[in-house]
Amino acid sequence: MAGADTRHTLTLGFEGALKKVSVATPPGEPRPWDADTKTQVVGEAVPRVDGHLKTSGAAKYTHDINLPDMQHALVLRSPHACAVIKSIDIKAAENAPGVSACVALAKASDRVLFVGQDVAAVAAATPEAAREALARIQVEYEKQPFVVALEKAMQDDAPLVHTTAVKERRTEGDEPGAGGGAKARGNIRPAPSMKKGDAKRGLRQAKVTHEAVYTTQVHTHTALETHSIVVRWDDAKQARMTVWCSTQSIFSVRGEMAEMFGLKPQDVHVITNFLGGGFGAKFGASAPGSRLGFIAGELARLSKKPVSLLLDRREEHTCTGNRPDSHQRVTLGATEGGALTAIHVVGHGSAGIGTGAGIGRNAFGIYTKCPNILVESADVFTHAGPGTAFRAPGHPQGAFGIESALNELAAKLGLDPLELRIAHNEHPVRRRQFELGRDAFQWADKRRRAADQRGRNTRMRTGVGVAASIWGDFGRAKAASVTVTVTPNGGVEVRNGVQDIGTGIGTVMAQVAAEVLRRPLSTVTVKIGDSELGSSVGSGGSQTTSSVTPAVRNAAEQVKARLIALAAEALEAPAAKITWGEGGVASARKGKSIEFAALCKKIKGESISESATRPQTYGSHPMKFLGSPLYQIAGVQFAEVEVDTWTGVARARKVLAIHDCGRVMNELTLRSQINGGVILGTGYALMEQRVMDGRSGVMLNANLESYKCLGARDVPEIEVLLTEVHVGNNSTGAVGIGEPATIPTAAAIAGAVMDAIGAPVRALPITPDRVLTALGATS
Amino acid sequence: MKPFSLIRPASLDEARAAVTAAPEHVLRAGGVDLIDQMKEGLARPSALVELRTVSDAPALRELARDGDGAWSLGALVTLAQLAAASEFGAELAALREAAGSAATPSIRSMATLGGNLLQRPRCWYYRHAELVCLKKGGSHCLAINGDHRYHAILGGGPSWIVHPSTLASALLALDARVELAGAEARALPIAELFVGPKEDATREHRLAPGEILTRVTIPAAAPGQRSAYEAVKEKQSHDWPLAEVAVNVTVESGTIKAARVALGHVAPIPWRAEAAEAALVGQQPSAALIERAAAAATEGAKPLKRNAYKIPLTRGLVRATLHRALEVASPA
Repeated sequence: MAGADTRHTLTLGFEGALKKVSVATPPGEPRPWDADTKTQVVGEAVPRVDGHLKTSGAAKYTHDINLPDMQHALVLRSPHACAVIKSIDIKAAENAPGVSACVALAKASDRVLFVGQDVAAVAAATPEAAREALARIQVEYEKQPFVVALEKAMQDDAPLVHTTAVKERRTEGDEPGAGGGAKARGNIRPAPSMKKGDAKRGLRQAKVTHEAVYTTQVHTHTALETHSIVVRWDDAKQARMTVWCSTQSIFSVRGEMAEMFGLKPQDVHVITNFLGGGFGAKFGASAPGSRLGFIAGELARLSKKPVSLLLDRREEHTCTGNRPDSHQRVTLGATEGGALTAIHVVGHGSAGIGTGAGIGRNAFGIYTKCPNILVESADVFTHAGPGTAFRAPGHPQGAFGIESALNELAAKLGLDPLELRIAHNEHPVRRRQFELGRDAFQWADKRRRAADQRGRNTRMRTGVGVAASIWGDFGRAKAASVTVTVTPNGGVEVRNGVQDIGTGIGTVMAQVAAEVLRRPLSTVTVKIGDSELGSSVGSGGSQTTSSVTPAVRNAAEQVKARLIALAAEALEAPAAKITWGEGGVASARKGKSIEFAALCKKIKGESISESATRPQTYGSHPMKFLGSPLYQIAGVQFAEVEVDTWTGVARARKVLAIHDCGRVMNELTLRSQINGGVILGTGYALMEQRVMDGRSGVMLNANLESYKCLGARDVPEIEVLLTEVHVGNNSTGAVGIGEPATIPTAAAIAGAVMDAIGAPVRALPITPDRVLTALGATS
Repeated sequence: MKPFSLIRPASLDEARAAVTAAPEHVLRAGGVDLIDQMKEGLARPSALVELRTVSDAPALRELARDGDGAWSLGALVTLAQLAAASEFGAELAALREAAGSAATPSIRSMATLGGNLLQRPRCWYYRHAELVCLKKGGSHCLAINGDHRYHAILGGGPSWIVHPSTLASALLALDARVELAGAEARALPIAELFVGPKEDATREHRLAPGEILTRVTIPAAAPGQRSAYEAVKEKQSHDWPLAEVAVNVTVESGTIKAARVALGHVAPIPWRAEAAEAALVGQQPSAALIERAAAAATEGAKPLKRNAYKIPLTRGLVRATLHRALEVASPA
């Protein structure tokens, strides 16, 4: 192929707003799918291809791995929130019955910084023997003062968490372009601010202002499958290893294990056949607060036996990451007519001993009609397990702050909070979503009903709220290498080393290959979840589908081109004259054709096999993400709640989620992902919260009993409306949905609670105590 | 979990002998809370004595009404059985509703009446393996200066746990008695089964070592008697109540002849709201009466710094439940 770009005139945009747009693609790229492309399999509501394996229990997760002579590892963890280790002695554990290896993970003079930090580990023939051995490890601690509460840690006289420079930990789950820090003052380390215009001047110009503090809780990822890793050294020289890991990034596990043990990446074989959730906490071989990869690998090296390290629920809550809390002072200014003149947010949050407690781009990036915006944020260190990327890092916090403040400002101005939003949003798709929701949700009627109930002081109240999301098309170039193979017996196989975090990427890969080759989906097999299957991306940043499916299409198109060449030979016609029809029937102009099965029999050698990646994103119609050439995904959610004013219980009754994710690849798995985002967001709104004890520094609810995740009875009715957008970004037009689906839920629910009771609840989660306080019942 | 042996006695006497043989021998019925405690390292029994293999005491599994209308409920009757007991009339609705409200369907199928009454508290300081609270031999209750959002507002001190048994509230409202097998068989009003922290903060019930709770009896209902149970929870699937109430009222010719109001999860023992009862008796049901009685339900409350919200919450709960039990239409 020549080196010049090809220009295509594509039909891009969304229903009712389609335009012809010229898009350049690099050499070798197929014509991108656009609004005029009618697909047969892609976009359909196809059940996930491995669903029966999961529901029948046949699917094997890392917790299910059982190797001959496998040892069970356990970690001794710091019982203190801050202490200097005076001495550590593991000898007694080494000599304990059944123990095959023991390793100290801290040494004398080390300072431990949170309850749950790694201190030592053992591997033994049984978990019981490992537990008995752990109890024999002698550690002498000198306790030091500590602080676990955000606001206390901000005080000048607070115990200092870090006494040395802090290294920022970044993962594939972080939002590109976020983070980066300045020098710390005490426990406070400012992050770069987002600035447009002059917010202070904008506030001086305002006729109406609103200022309040909004707080959110620490939220733990709580994947059903806890962090787990099994390591087996594959040869006597210990030059190769196989790793089974519950990870959302097989290749970052491979890279980290290779680096830790001085191996070449290709000598580390990583397998994640099935993964029981990650939500951002499972990037890399180690958890954010525990060196799991090193522990399992080192114990396996020392014992010369395979080692399995499976965390329990308490460890999962305390040392594998969390969504940082936040304390956001939001100041808004507006004209009497309701035109925003300024948004100023000062956010503090604590990622424990870690970094990355920002508050996302909601306040800065959604209501952009406001001319003056300043968002300042800072990390505050506390003696608690480190935060890490969690499904849309920072965004649910930021959305709760800005959206709640807008609701209160609208009330002051006597304006409909939805109209205030529509007036200040410039994204055409988001505007459409607001308008669709206004009608579909019967916004005005429900607002009137809420006002009537408030006026009559009824016991049960209903209310409605709305909030928006912002995210980007972060699909990555040349990251996923996908191989499509057609064999002489007519089988189609798609291979890539991507892991399925639970969203059904394998199913979508099969659909894309079936679409290109026009073959029945049942004839396509997919192999994923293994580092031997070709490089791939981590499942984070809502980028898996947009990074992988274009590579599938490109590889499948190359295979199809070779099949067409084969057909041209068989039909004695030039390849350019061959058309590729339904079922994979290749036809020449004269009416001569060859069936797919017959054509495949003509394949010389074992198969036709092509590998492909995808290039840089080519376009981003109709609106860019902040300060980047990438497309900005729009989303809006409406929530309806019911509040019992006698008991303070608020329940989410209904959520209408209206989202854009580029081209819809599979409507069923897409809706499932949005349902998951709404469920997570509802739990964040109403009940999930880490509770730390200020006196001992321990997490009081490191379990699934008093750390409350949404249960079946708590799930609202979820309605999903899809506003499909053709972006012209890559060969399939896929973007992503994982994170945007959870961003606005809690903010919308909080707005609905305010509508129901006529007073804001400025802290998440919205538990009965807070509702009763907002109602004035506790004073 | 520490390894243990399992003893499967055939008779009640054998079971009693097995549990008294050593202090580390513990009786197991449903085993729901016990296994939890063993996993957390809070209990380290060397032997579990299975109550479910006892075959010479049919009363353990009985759910029966005698000729006078009194009920006998065996200690091994499960919460699921109670929740599904269609033979319970309006007078026992509180027990049926309480059993159906607790835990999850799978736990309710395992958990027993006896185990529910005798389980240990859920306090997160008590349950934390590494913290030594008053109940575990420490010098003071860690909830006082800690996070006590779920703790007692009534009857607290020196421990501020709340009693975990949901069935206890209903049975207290229904004036039940418990029967104990021991060196000598005895029966107690259910209120006397429970031990408050002022008497002994390290225990919640009065069973002597080796005593076995065999059944609960409920007296025959009076004409016009009805009961109801409700709980307030942060989470509607599988959560412990912030507060719960069982009410048992007898209305004759438009007048409340008798009333018992029992609160759960607000005090270290299941709590009779006697001021609320007094407000109701002799009166005609009305929304105004119910509001007054509900306000009286928390009389004497002494909340800690952070759990005063439980006062209006409990009042609201009592109010809602009384409306239902007395069939007085709720205000819109």
